[in-house]
Amino acid sequence: MQDEVPSTAAPNPLTHLSPGQEPATRSQRSWKARVLRLGDVSAEKRWGGVPASLAIVGLITIVGFWIEPVIRGPNLAIVYMLAVVFSALRWERRAVIISAISSAFFFDYFFVPPYRSFVVGDVWYFITLIGLLTVGLIVSTLLVATKEEARASRRSEAHISALYALTKSLAAESKLDQIIDALERHVLETFQRPIVVLLPEAGGLTVRFRSAGLAFDARDGAAAACVFANDQEAGHGTGKFSDSTIRYLPLKAWRGVVGVVGIQAEGWEEWHSSGRQQLLRSFMSQAALAITRADLVKKAQQAEVLQETDKLQKALLNSVSHNLRTPLASVIGALNSVLEDGALLDSPTKQSLLKTAQEEAGRLNWLVQNLLDMTRLEGGAIRVKTEPCDVHDVVGAALHQLGEATRSHPVSITIAPDLPLVPMDHVLIVQVLVNMLDNALKYSPDDAPIDIEAGLDAGKLEIRVLDRGRGIPEQELARVFDKFFRGTLPGPARGAGLGLSICKGFVEAHNGRILAKRRTQGGTELAFFLPLEAKRE
Amino acid sequence: MSDPGPRVLIVDDEAGIRRFLRASLEAHGYSIDEASTGEEALQVVPAFRPDLILLDLGLPGVGGRQVTTCLREWTQTPIIILSVQDDESAKIAALDAGADDYLTKPFGAGELLARIRAALRRVGQQDSGPVFVTGDLTVDLVGRAVRLGDKEVQLTPTEYSLLKAFVVHANKLLTHRQLVREVWGGAHYEDTQHLLRVNISNLRRKLEVDPARPHYIITEPGVGYRLRTEPRATVAPSNV
Repeated sequence: MQDEVPSTAAPNPLTHLSPGQEPATRSQRSWKARVLRLGDVSAEKRWGGVPASLAIVGLITIVGFWIEPVIRGPNLAIVYMLAVVFSALRWERRAVIISAISSAFFFDYFFVPPYRSFVVGDVWYFITLIGLLTVGLIVSTLLVATKEEARASRRSEAHISALYALTKSLAAESKLDQIIDALERHVLETFQRPIVVLLPEAGGLTVRFRSAGLAFDARDGAAAACVFANDQEAGHGTGKFSDSTIRYLPLKAWRGVVGVVGIQAEGWEEWHSSGRQQLLRSFMSQAALAITRADLVKKAQQAEVLQETDKLQKALLNSVSHNLRTPLASVIGALNSVLEDGALLDSPTKQSLLKTAQEEAGRLNWLVQNLLDMTRLEGGAIRVKTEPCDVHDVVGAALHQLGEATRSHPVSITIAPDLPLVPMDHVLIVQVLVNMLDNALKYSPDDAPIDIEAGLDAGKLEIRVLDRGRGIPEQELARVFDKFFRGTLPGPARGAGLGLSICKGFVEAHNGRILAKRRTQGGTELAFFLPLEAKRE
Repeated sequence: MSDPGPRVLIVDDEAGIRRFLRASLEAHGYSIDEASTGEEALQVVPAFRPDLILLDLGLPGVGGRQVTTCLREWTQTPIIILSVQDDESAKIAALDAGADDYLTKPFGAGELLARIRAALRRVGQQDSGPVFVTGDLTVDLVGRAVRLGDKEVQLTPTEYSLLKAFVVHANKLLTHRQLVREVWGGAHYEDTQHLLRVNISNLRRKLEVDPARPHYIITEPGVGYRLRTEPRATVAPSNV
């Protein structure tokens, strides 16, 4: 009992877990806890029950004079026994012992003949007295032991919930600074001690955090470095740097020591039996794990970024070299044939070769346009010049631009009547529609209808292009607007996977959004939404 | 050579483009001269007296827009601008400076020939008479009456003056600024732009079968509008 009593300056751990937690804890305490006073015992409480116990014994003695004629001699001992048990319930061991002994003396002095003397005349009274004393002591020992157990279990419960709170905070953070912040916060809440956190950085151990008011000099740095190197605690209460007021603990994870934490060691020895040292070490393990995890997350992200960049560059190269070279090869091939073997070819063959060259050159032109648009988007060179535009006009201009290409599919247009003029950059939005329509034309069989619909949706202009093509697989829907993404389904291997990502860029430059959906009866729906109010700059 | 066709001056710094244009145009009976810079063009025009000029916008030195401005000081010879996609504003500036039309590179020979024919026809048709007919659309400039087939179309005064501007410059690409000047008398361009769009939209609703796929009033994205008379102009009834 003695050794677990914290110094007066150290507040009770039960009442200092966390400010928010305390009321709940109190209200959850059972009546038993309240009667038994299961809180940890402070110095004054240890003596607290003594006067009260004595007072109760005195009271029973006075009452005893009144009821003695009724109850008779030895039976009064039972009443004293009650006082002892009550003391054992309410107070600590000292009060109980004093209560038992004083009961025996009072009973002997006042009610055991000869009266007003400690001499015991009758042997039966002697047995009664011994019984009173023994029972009092046994009951008090048992009760106090029970209380002690209950107290220990409460303490460990408190420790577990402190540890749980820390773990929860740490799990929520993935950045190093936030993890250190959480650790500091929880150590302060649970231990009320300033700390210093040191982590290895290029060239050595660096102080990442230091509580205000915690002195930290070169010698402390050496102590921390020693802990980091040896994976052994140092500072206060150890063999190394024992003159320090700080105790240094390694942050140990499965990969080894990832850092060092120093904590002001005032009252350190008293933390041993209360399990607080152990709790602090558990804190350190959790922090070490979180720091390791943050480190891994950071590394993974870096690797991912590198990989993404690498992938994008490869895709760009592949796309450019493949998509530009393929049509060029056709153009050069066709023209060479006509020029060099012109005499050998009949007129329809020549015509068809030239037609191929023309078509492929057109495709090349389209590709260059898309690459240029993408470069302008990436370079931030797209300037949106919004003017109020007529949706009919935009749709018409897009169809006009596609020209012959739309002949292969019936295109129907449904535009809600009374659509207002909507602010947009006419050229960019026409390009968006052209790319969307081009996509629909490319991926749906000839003669499959294509619908263009425009209307208002929740205060936005909505324009949709619907086709009856094969549709985009569910898992690819989110990626169709990614640069260089081309569906995995085999199909016309035209285009560089830029068209729809350009659409996305242009629409987003208008503060709008774009999406792709599967139609229930097959086919794809591409839709974009534009705000009806011009973007203010 | 006995019947020399219209004379066309090609101004472009790319020899490949000049060769392609010369080949296509000579095959269709045009007489050709070439200039590779703006300065050269300005010297050649008074001597060659072209009926039409094909002018590249991206010339080194004196640019296409400056050439247009200089030429317009003394001649109304139709100018068709050749440009690449990206320079909308330069295109508009050249059109505002007096160019008649533009073509975006790359373009096909067919498209080029159609534009040249339309531009030359406009010069010949300066006084086409009081009644303009194309397809189902009839505009009587004297009686201020507009008919679609045999149905009278009611237009507001603004819509009518807009349509009149299109009719007077049939087939010519008119920039937003030119239309505003023509209809609203050059009032603040920024304020009237909105009005222009509303009126175009209304005019289409009244004249076009499908306003989203206009037959008569064609949008040139970001640049302006033109009244298209081809190919229906050929089927205009002769009894009007």
